[in-house]
Amino acid sequence: MRGQKLFLLLLSLMLLSGCVQKEVVDDVNIAVGIGLDKKDDQILGSVMIPVYKTDRSIENFTFTSKGTVTRDIIFQMSHKSSQPIVTGSLEVGLFGEEVAREGIIEFLDAFQRDPSVGARVYLAVVDGTASEIFKGNYGDRGNAIYLSGLIQQNTERGNMPLTNVHQFLFDFYQKGKDPFLPLLKKTQPDLVNIAGVALFKDEKVIDSIPTSKMFYFKLLVDEYSEGTIKIKADNKESVIKSLKSKYKFRLKKRSPYEFDIHINIDALVSEYTGRTVSKKVVKKIEKQLERQVASECTKLIKKFQEKNIDPIGLGHFAKTQTRGFDFTKWTEEYPNAEVKVSVDVSIAEVGVVE
Amino acid sequence: MQNERSSSPEKNQQHTQNKNEEKKNSEDWEKTFLKSKDFTKTNYINQKTGKPFTFVFMSTLVDEKILSNSVLPALLEEELYQLSDIKKLLPIPDVQLSTEKSEIEKKLFNGYVMLFLDNDKSLFAFIAAQKEVSRSVSAPEIEFSVVGPKEAFVESLRQNINMVRKRMPIKELVSEEFTLGSLSKTKISILHVEGITNDEIIQTVRQRIKNIEFDEIVDSSYIVQLISDNESSPFPQLLDTERPDRVAAILAEGKIAILVDGSPHALIGPTTLIEFFSSFEDYFLNWVLSSFFRLIRVFGVAFSILITPIYVAALTYHYELIPKDLLGTLINSRRVVPFPPILEALFLEITIELLREAGARLPTKVGQTIGIVGGIVLGTASVEAGLTSNVLLIFIALAALAAFTTPVYKMSNTIRLLRFPFLLMAELWGLLGITIAFCFLMTHLIRLTSLGHPFLEPLYPPRVQDLKDAFIRGSFKDLNRRPSYLRTKDPIRFSGEKSHKKKDIDE
Amino acid sequence: MIIGRQVGIMHKPIQDRFKISPFLPLYVIMAMQIGIGVLGFQRVVAKDAGNDAWISVLGAGLIIHVIVWVMYKICETVQGDVLTANVYVFGKIAGNALNSFFIFYYILTCAGVLGGLIEIIKVWMFPELNTFVFASVYLLLAVYIINGGLRTVAGMAFFSLVLPAYLLLVFGLAVKHADFTNLLPVFDHTLIDMIKSGYRMSLTYLGYDVLLFIYPFIKEPQKSKKWAHLGVFFTTILYTVLAILTFAYFSGGLLEKSIWPTLEMWKIVQLPFIERFEYIGIANWAIIIIPNVAISLWVASRVTKQVFHLKQRKGVIVAALLCLGILMFLNSRERINMVLDLTALLSFAVSYLFIPFLYLSVLIAKKVKKK
Repeated sequence: MRGQKLFLLLLSLMLLSGCVQKEVVDDVNIAVGIGLDKKDDQILGSVMIPVYKTDRSIENFTFTSKGTVTRDIIFQMSHKSSQPIVTGSLEVGLFGEEVAREGIIEFLDAFQRDPSVGARVYLAVVDGTASEIFKGNYGDRGNAIYLSGLIQQNTERGNMPLTNVHQFLFDFYQKGKDPFLPLLKKTQPDLVNIAGVALFKDEKVIDSIPTSKMFYFKLLVDEYSEGTIKIKADNKESVIKSLKSKYKFRLKKRSPYEFDIHINIDALVSEYTGRTVSKKVVKKIEKQLERQVASECTKLIKKFQEKNIDPIGLGHFAKTQTRGFDFTKWTEEYPNAEVKVSVDVSIAEVGVVE
Repeated sequence: MQNERSSSPEKNQQHTQNKNEEKKNSEDWEKTFLKSKDFTKTNYINQKTGKPFTFVFMSTLVDEKILSNSVLPALLEEELYQLSDIKKLLPIPDVQLSTEKSEIEKKLFNGYVMLFLDNDKSLFAFIAAQKEVSRSVSAPEIEFSVVGPKEAFVESLRQNINMVRKRMPIKELVSEEFTLGSLSKTKISILHVEGITNDEIIQTVRQRIKNIEFDEIVDSSYIVQLISDNESSPFPQLLDTERPDRVAAILAEGKIAILVDGSPHALIGPTTLIEFFSSFEDYFLNWVLSSFFRLIRVFGVAFSILITPIYVAALTYHYELIPKDLLGTLINSRRVVPFPPILEALFLEITIELLREAGARLPTKVGQTIGIVGGIVLGTASVEAGLTSNVLLIFIALAALAAFTTPVYKMSNTIRLLRFPFLLMAELWGLLGITIAFCFLMTHLIRLTSLGHPFLEPLYPPRVQDLKDAFIRGSFKDLNRRPSYLRTKDPIRFSGEKSHKKKDIDE
Repeated sequence: MIIGRQVGIMHKPIQDRFKISPFLPLYVIMAMQIGIGVLGFQRVVAKDAGNDAWISVLGAGLIIHVIVWVMYKICETVQGDVLTANVYVFGKIAGNALNSFFIFYYILTCAGVLGGLIEIIKVWMFPELNTFVFASVYLLLAVYIINGGLRTVAGMAFFSLVLPAYLLLVFGLAVKHADFTNLLPVFDHTLIDMIKSGYRMSLTYLGYDVLLFIYPFIKEPQKSKKWAHLGVFFTTILYTVLAILTFAYFSGGLLEKSIWPTLEMWKIVQLPFIERFEYIGIANWAIIIIPNVAISLWVASRVTKQVFHLKQRKGVIVAALLCLGILMFLNSRERINMVLDLTALLSFAVSYLFIPFLYLSVLIAKKVKKK
């Protein structure tokens, strides 16, 4: 009896005061994209919210507000919103070029500190302003799905190396490695392009790689790439799909630093403009590709060294090979380090026609 | 001399007169009997010796064919000098002589005919002439199986024991009988196999049955509630079955069965949670198939209990969890619904419960119609009216369907109930609430025992050997040992050595 | 038992049907060791030894086997639990005074662990969660478990390990994002650093001292030895693997900023039907924590019974109420950390100072009493 009374008391207590804040899925504004631009001295934030129509189509609605930090901006927006804005289902975060040049880590702090923001959120730098991108209408599944799909698709099957919040923070906090993000550009009213890779020095964008060089960049930083490259051999064009690639660093000498980067590519020919793909032609393509990759990669690394950035993580690699590694010394020596790239290509398949 | 009870109106009149006469000089024990119309007392005279004798019986309990075909001809036409002669005369196996007046009531109401010679009323004989009114054996309805025997228990204890004994014709199959109920005098029989079943279990059951104090025991389900280890638990702690073949099978495993006169269900104990998810048909199918179906059932139960709470939790608190492709669908279906998810879910759950109750109480044909009409019309209408979302409707319908996969009716009732506390906790604390509710359920199950044996075995305490017949049903080769938690006297069912030899390829 | 009678402790021998099978200490010990610490130990151990800390994790885990061995020795010598041993060595008054310390210690442990869970729920899920209500429900659950006896407590320990075991598989999905070169170069830190981090780790490993209390409840304790050691070993392996995975998943600087690296690792996991896994993980953690709370309260109430002759049914309610009272004061991270640090320190002292000391004393006392 006493137990039952206690139970009833507890039950009523639970129902009366145990409740926690509800976030019923159709009674909140679920922010799926956030963009930050510089405007005057302040930050102009835009938040993208999908509006689910009864005929199952999705419309985009964008809140914009000025503020100084991310959370403040979202708070400012809630003055305009009929439902609370929640950030738990964020898909993409875009940074306008100006913001990215001044550093983005203070904005990422909000992403990191708020446990409701996932680690798989895609980040990108925009050539132009983020609010501009939010203004368009892309695809029929909502802008955020389009944008995240754009990056995801290009990461999984294209020439874009893997990036997301976790990866960015991982690189940012990793000593001897600099982060990078996709670079987006709005080209038509209803299309957004991947315009390359934005390279960071610490938290600031200082350079970018154009789309044409992304294949080589991905070979250097990502293992499971499935990129595509066009190659010219004997005036015949052929398109190579890289099935698998692996890179391997080797530290050959310490002072001055000398690295060996070996890239292994298993590829197939997906298009060839010549008559037949004979064994000889395949050999030729292989040789040509090896030469091309080696020289382009070396060029890229030279460029990194000139700008004193290290997106491929040579510094981190050197550290893993050395006990008691001194990073201050490394920063001085990095631009002068010698990096040799060797490539091994094997083309296994030529498609279903010869 | 002719039978006085043949049915001409004159004779009846005479009979009544007789009765009135008798009433005056009737003996003490008769007084209450005489108030009942079906109490019959008739006089006869033996033709050879001229001895007058009297039959006393309850006409509704006695098979008159036995009287007129076997008893009366012998008693009237053979030489009857004294009462002990009837043992020679009657072609009936169960004839008892007695001087105990206290036995009269018990015997008469068990369908015996009392016989005494009019000159000596102190000695009397009881002749068994029970009328067996029971339906004929029919196919099992609740535990129906496509393959396998099609016999189900009926309401007669003798018939039921007969069906079990046929399947296990050995002297070790012991049937202990008890009579319970101050008014019902129900016969209860405990079946077990000597030399296999652990004495402790039998002792426990015996003790508990002896301790029962009750007036009217109508069905075996009364016994379940009276001897359960924890009578407030929603979980049934004894398995009930209507299949004699299942009873024979569990007796061979070393469990006990309780049969109650007047109930077409045998009780099986000690039982475990897992047993409630195994249909007896599992043993008729190949072990791969039956294991698969068992897993489906376990999944069905988990799904049935958890899906609506998870829906409520995810939609109320954890929108982050919902995959982005699903988000649109969910929001779209929820948008028009004016209620919070919990009310929506409760509304539908209760609708389903109402449909089930209505279906169960109505005659079969009407019940089916109600089910279909209710299901389709109410479901579609409530979605169109914007009272519920169609996604939830699908979940609830699936959950209801999944709950019916449990082969034991009592367990599916339990599952119906369990959903509601989970729903409330999901509303309160989302997924966290579901886990807390789950912990309470888990604790309850760990604490629960069936006839003193842990209910969750073989999961806890974990016994690897018994897992062979739990979530999966091992092949008969592997099931060569009796369940270890029963601590049987003979743990080995068959040696299994012959079947375990493996031959090499092409040998 | 004989010694128990000699020193006049009121131990009734425990009936067989209340005892637990010899392999269940494996689960009891593991369940007690795995608690709130798993979610955040990586950052703490990495403070000193950085990427080499996993070696310290492994080392600190292996040392426990010695302590477990000593604990068995104590219990075997006095044929009973640590309470018997204390009374045997220090006499009735001093022994029982020492015993009452355990009541305090276990109630504090219970409060610390539950406080830690509530804090995580507040930060990650429900910032407005009412501590009092949640803690009451949770403690009620614990009392309900304890009322079923140690068998039920051990049962919960068993299920709290077996059911959430699938969470380990989920860590496998984080491997894709891990960079194992982070662990290189091995042995880049001094021995002192490693020992320091080993000391920090030993605070996370604590909980195996319940063995001292459940010993009389084990059927055939001799057989249980290997299971107890195996339990400790599994925990060590689990922590080590988790540490290695964490160091690979987080770069050094990022790890420094993450309070609950284990939870953050789940954030990267995506399954076709679940977008975010950490919420499932936190909800599951409520199951993983339950044996910590239940076992602590069980020990506290059992000691109360032995020392103050209070019925365990009542003792457990008193202990739960005290725990609830302490929890009401744990309303900030500093205070929770303070309690967790305090219990860790006490526990460290118990394991590494008191237990060896008690063992020696028992040996001496035995010699003296024989004469």
